[in-house]
Amino acid sequence: MRKHFSGPLGKSVVILGVAYLLLEFGIAYIPPLFGVDSGPIPDSVLLQYMVTVAIGILLWVSFNETLWEEFKAPLHAAMVEPRQRRTRVALIVLVPVLVGLMTFNSVRPSIAAPPSLRSIHPAPPGQIDFQGRSMELAGVENPLRSVGSPEEHYLEGRRVYYQNCLPCHGDGLAGRGHYAQGFNPGPASFQDVGTIAQLTESYVFWRVAKGGPGLPNEGAPWNSAMPAWEDFLTEDEIWSVILFMYEQAGHEPRTWEEEGEEH
Amino acid sequence: MAIWGGVAFALSLAMMPLGLGALQEDEQLGKVTYDRWCSECHGVDGDGTGSAAGYMLPRPRDFTLAMYNIRTTASGDLPTDQDLLRAINMGAPGTAMPAWDDVLTEAEKQALVQYLKTFSRFFPLDENPVPLVLGSPTGVSEEVIAEGRGQYEAIECWKCHGDQGRGDGESAATLMDDTGFPIAAADLTENWFFNGGADVEDIYRALRTGLDGSPMPNFSDVLNAGVMTDEELWAVAHYVRSLAPEDTPGISEVVLAKLLTEGAELATSFDDQAWEEIEGTYIPLVGQIIVKPRWFDPRVDGVWVKAMHNGDDISVLVSWSDPNNSPDPLWSDWKSQVTRIMEPREAADNEIDAAPDQLVVQFPMQMPEGMERPYFLKGDSRRPVYLWEWKSDRQTALEGEARGVGTESFQDEGQDVSVKGMHSDGQWQVVFTRPLLTSDENDLDFITGEAIPMSFFAWDGDNGESGNQGSLSSWYFLLLEEPTSTKVYVAPPIAMLIAGALGFFIVRRVQKREMESFRS
Ligand code: HEC
Ligand code: HEC
Repeated sequence: MRKHFSGPLGKSVVILGVAYLLLEFGIAYIPPLFGVDSGPIPDSVLLQYMVTVAIGILLWVSFNETLWEEFKAPLHAAMVEPRQRRTRVALIVLVPVLVGLMTFNSVRPSIAAPPSLRSIHPAPPGQIDFQGRSMELAGVENPLRSVGSPEEHYLEGRRVYYQNCLPCHGDGLAGRGHYAQGFNPGPASFQDVGTIAQLTESYVFWRVAKGGPGLPNEGAPWNSAMPAWEDFLTEDEIWSVILFMYEQAGHEPRTWEEEGEEH
Repeated sequence: MAIWGGVAFALSLAMMPLGLGALQEDEQLGKVTYDRWCSECHGVDGDGTGSAAGYMLPRPRDFTLAMYNIRTTASGDLPTDQDLLRAINMGAPGTAMPAWDDVLTEAEKQALVQYLKTFSRFFPLDENPVPLVLGSPTGVSEEVIAEGRGQYEAIECWKCHGDQGRGDGESAATLMDDTGFPIAAADLTENWFFNGGADVEDIYRALRTGLDGSPMPNFSDVLNAGVMTDEELWAVAHYVRSLAPEDTPGISEVVLAKLLTEGAELATSFDDQAWEEIEGTYIPLVGQIIVKPRWFDPRVDGVWVKAMHNGDDISVLVSWSDPNNSPDPLWSDWKSQVTRIMEPREAADNEIDAAPDQLVVQFPMQMPEGMERPYFLKGDSRRPVYLWEWKSDRQTALEGEARGVGTESFQDEGQDVSVKGMHSDGQWQVVFTRPLLTSDENDLDFITGEAIPMSFFAWDGDNGESGNQGSLSSWYFLLLEEPTSTKVYVAPPIAMLIAGALGFFIVRRVQKREMESFRS
């Protein structure tokens, strides 16, 4: 058995198989093991990725003559060797059956919802129009961290959160409020390491102030139930609720130094 | 950054005189946990007046009264520690009270249980109340359920819960809890919203203990007086359980409009037999809390949708629980109370006039290209929506359009959609019928086989709902079933044939070449 997979052809088959499993199931089921939300990718995207992998493999095996010959040898043998008659017949039957199944899969009527892809954290604008005035976001820190009493800001933020955010984002800040089931996509979980823990406070300010309607197109603004809180809250109320969220969920905001290193 | 609560906790521990018992340590942990996670609703002093209390109904419990809904003890008795722990772990479904099972540690929960009791002078510290002996469920059968139904009538559950259990009994409009807030008689067809749990054991326990603090009485007295046997009470519990679906409805994104077979009649009324063949899809609705004025006390918490078409016309049946046909003078008191107590007060006062019940079904005005859709809240300037509007005080449905909240406009002429609605036993059933294609270019054409975005808005006028204050859903999809195309039967065999022939051909070619090279 071992020797079947040691040649370039065998390796290619293994690589294709592993890539398929990772793309089809890995993307959906591995991140949740680490507490990160995920879901299956649509078939069209899967196909694109698989084609990319296949092209990669072809580039690799055609890299030099010997490799190419080694790659072809088992194929060639399967087609001509009298001793491999059985393999030959099996292939001639199996491949068409597989093709038939794939065709059936693509033409049969399905009642699935169309895929909806969106970027969870689209790039923020450098400045926004906040309540009618222009506001710089790049490099901005939460101003409440340097004035007044932290405890008072926290308490004020808690009031703002419980009166406004709680029905969706929930008391545990895990996106499981009693209204959460009404929305698709569901409310973000701030306990999740993939949300506020990854973002600067000024990014969060933008998302809170402008809500779903303020998202760029790649964020699917038409589906997001997140209100534009600039219509309800003052600037200080927004900064205080942001401060509360980090504190209550036990996360540190991303700093501008970290942000800079990545670019 | 320091956790201020933690700092306070550490400080207070440090300041505590040495040699004090574990109880006080517990109380500290209890207080810190309570202040951090519970106080904004239940109030720092446990009196149910946290800053968020006005944004929910039922209101957060006032712990100073020591009145608990879900207990295993007799009505009027205090709950056991176990009962309080259960309330903290499971929360109260159907209310804002969250489940804390995986948020708090075991030690924090235990400490909370002790801390909650300190709010009320009714709790003695040394004795634990005695739970009732509740026994285990009797078997269930058609006869048991029929027996339960008989008892349901005999002991007058219907007075509050209504004949079919949808919370529409004759006293429903006047029910108050012990703190003077209006309270709805539970809708027994939605057991997933029962405060104390959805199973038959939970229902039986609620019947034995009553829900103290609410008008829901206990029926242990009826047993003790010998008016009813324990078996009969279990039968009531089985009957109540049978009013709700076997399984809590999952959320499915697609409503399939069934294609009728040749010659079958399209249902245009709610009482048509044909609907029974079709499985309903449940779509949860929640309060509109996205634009002003917001509404935190929605009555309609979900709709059931069925659809069918015959290639020319489509019918969509929407049904939902609503205790009455608004406006109804019997409910005017309820309505004025609800509108008076709900925060935030963002609506102009004139919006508390008599209002009908309403339903709006929303579609995009044109089928979207790619993944883009209109904003789910009545569209936007670039992507308008197409609406069907039904109101309980009007016999017709209107078609309309909107390009954002507040821009709805409805046509008075050339209506292509017809409607039939009926209210009975605490339920609205409304059927819309429309040709798949119309001559009006502002109407969406219903094309078979395409997932058409669809969403819902609902209002209960006598619950103080109108305008932006009502409930809504996000986008779902309506898919009109297509006749199975011949493609499905033909394409796979053809593909197989081609693949087979190609394989065969290649193998022959290679073999031939091999022979030739061998010979030469
Ligand atoms: C979002 C607001 C909110 C928060 C936060 C909250 N509760 Fe509640 N709680 C409620 C509401 C509303 C009710 C009343 C439910 C009802 O009437 O059925 C309630 C009821 C209760 C009850 C009574 C259950 C019964 O059987 O009668 C207990 C006990 C309770 N809460 C404990 C807590 C504890 C402990 C915390 C913090 C860990 C907490 N609550 C946090 C809103 C809240
Ligand atoms: C006086 C009015 C009244 C009567 C009579 C009454 N109920 Fe209730 N019932 C209520 C109210 C109000 C609630 C909601 C309490 C709450 O939300 O806290 C309720 C809740 C319930 C619940 C939900 C329990 C839970 O865990 O949330 C069930 C089940 C129920 N009632 C069954 C019955 C049955 C069965 C009878 C007759 C044997 C009955 N009720 C008689 C008023 C009544």
